[in-house]
Amino acid sequence: MSTPELQQDLHAIRISKVSKRYGDFPVLKEINAEVTRGEVVVICGPSGSGKSTLIRTINRLEEINSGSISFDGRDIHAPMKTRELNRMRSRIGFVFQSFNLFPHLSVVDNVAMSPIRVKGVAPDVAHKKALLLLDRVGLADKANAYPGQLSGGQQQRVAIARALAMEPPVMLFDEPTSALDPEMVGEVLAVMKSLAAEGMTMLCVTHEMGFARDVADRIWFLDAGQILEIATPEEFFKHPRHPRAQRFLADLRH
Amino acid sequence: MISDILVIIHDYWLLLLIGQYPNGPLGGLANTLILSALSIALAFPISIVLALARLSKWPILRWPVTVLVYVTRGVPLLMLILWSYFLVPLLTGADVPSFITMLTTLVVYQGAFLSEVVRAGIVALGNGQMDAGRALGHSYLGTMRYIILPQALYNMIPSILSTFVSTIKDTTLGYVINVPDLTFAASQVNNQLLTQPFQVFLILALVYYAICWSLTYVAHRLERRITRRRAGLGVRLAAVIAPAKIVSEQS
Ligand SMILES: Nc1ncnc2c1ncn2[C@@H]1O[C@H](COP(=O)(O)OP(=O)(O)O)[C@@H](O)[C@H]1O
Ligand SMILES: [Mg+2]
Repeated sequence: MSTPELQQDLHAIRISKVSKRYGDFPVLKEINAEVTRGEVVVICGPSGSGKSTLIRTINRLEEINSGSISFDGRDIHAPMKTRELNRMRSRIGFVFQSFNLFPHLSVVDNVAMSPIRVKGVAPDVAHKKALLLLDRVGLADKANAYPGQLSGGQQQRVAIARALAMEPPVMLFDEPTSALDPEMVGEVLAVMKSLAAEGMTMLCVTHEMGFARDVADRIWFLDAGQILEIATPEEFFKHPRHPRAQRFLADLRH
Repeated sequence: MISDILVIIHDYWLLLLIGQYPNGPLGGLANTLILSALSIALAFPISIVLALARLSKWPILRWPVTVLVYVTRGVPLLMLILWSYFLVPLLTGADVPSFITMLTTLVVYQGAFLSEVVRAGIVALGNGQMDAGRALGHSYLGTMRYIILPQALYNMIPSILSTFVSTIKDTTLGYVINVPDLTFAASQVNNQLLTQPFQVFLILALVYYAICWSLTYVAHRLERRITRRRAGLGVRLAAVIAPAKIVSEQS
C-alpha cells in the first residue's frame, strides 16, 4: 500500500477524534487536526481550555479515552511495547513551561545525557554535539554551570537544546515563556523563531501573539476542549470567525 | 568512681572492643559497628526496591510491599527479633547464628523504614522530572535511575545517617538473643566484677553516646549544606552519588 507513505510525507502529526475525560469532566472533545511537515502551529485559547492536555497527548504523557494520534505513520496511542513507545517519544521534542531541567547535572550533561542513555550515542560524540547545540542557543559559555545558576530564560534555552539533542523531527512547546520574567521572553522566542526558520515542525501553545503573527503558519483556537477555529494568523487576527475567538482576542488586547 | 571506671577500661578494653576474638567469635564494639554497617548497607538497596514497588502502578507489586512496610513499622523491633529467633530455625531447620538472625531482622526493619524515606524523597520531586525523562524517551526505570533517584537519594543522605544512628542503638536489642556485641561484652564484664554495675554500664552508655552524637552531628551538618544547595546556587552536590560526568556504560 502506498497511501500510508504518502500520508507520512505530508503529515507530521494527525489527530483524529481525540477525546479525553478527567472523571466526568470532558477536557478534549473529538479533536481533529493535523500538522504538516515543516509547519509551525500555534495553539491558543483561554486558560483551562485543554491546551496543555492536548499537547501532552501527542507524546502520550497523557492517555486519551478515544481517538488516535498518528506520528511517523503510527498511532502513538495504540497498544504497543513500552520500548516502542519510548522510541516514538524520543522523536518528539517537548519543552515544558517550567523547564524541568535536571538540577543534579551540569548544563552540558543535561543536553548530552539522553542521547547517551536512550540512543546509545558515544559520550564524547554526545558532548561535542551538546556543545554545538548550546552554542546555537547562545549558551556555550554556560556548559559547565548547573541549572540552579541560570536565569529562567537561560534554563529554557537549555531545555530547548536538550530536546533538540535527540534530533526530533517535531518539537512541542507548552507555554515555554509563561514562567519567565518579561525581559527574558525575547531570548527564548528568538531561539524558537530560528528553529522555525530552519524548517522544524513545531506545535506551540503560547500566549505570545506577536510570535504567532510572525512565525505561525496556522493557528488553532481551542476553547472548552474543542478546536473552534483553524486559520492563518492573518485571517485569525483580522477576521476571527468564531464569536469565542473574537472575544478571546478582544480580551488579549483589553 | 572515676578511678574505678579507668581501672575497668584498663582491664577490659580489649573485651569491650573485640569480644572474645580470636579465642571466640568477634564481639564488642567492633561487632556492633560491623552489624550496624552491614545492616544499613543491605537495607539501603532493599529500601530502594521496596520504595519503587510501593510506587508501582501494578497492585501485585504494591500490595505485598505495603503490607510488609506497615507490619514491620507497626510492631516493636524486639518482637521482630524474637520472631526471627524462634521462627527462622523452625522454618529452615538450620541452626542460624544469632548474628545472622539479628542482621536479617535489622535489614528488614530498617529497609522498611528507609523505603518510606526514599518514597517520600521521590514524591517530593514532583512530576516534572519524570515527565521530562519520559518525554526524552527514557524508560520508567531509566528515568528513575538517572534522573529521579540521584536527586532523591542525595537529599536523603542525612536521613540515611540518622537511620544508621538508630541502627547502632537498635543493635543493643541483640542482647536478648545473645548477639556478641558491645552490650553483651559489657554485661560479661559486669558478671565478672559483680559489684560495679553502675560504672560498667556508664562506660557502655558513654561509648554509645559518643558514637551516636558524632554521627548525628555530621548528619545535621550535611542536612544544612544540602538545604542550602537545594535552595539554589552551587548544585555541585550530586557528584557524591550521581556520576558527575556521564560514563560510557549503558543500561
Ligand atoms: N490531572 C487532572 N485532573 C483533573 N482535571 C484536570 C487535570 N489536569 C487538568 N485538568 C483540567 O482540565 C482542564 C484543561 O486543563 P489544561 O489542559 O491544563 O488547560 P490549559 O493548558 O488550556 O490551561 C482544566 O479545567 C483543568 O482543571
Ligand atoms: Mg496549560
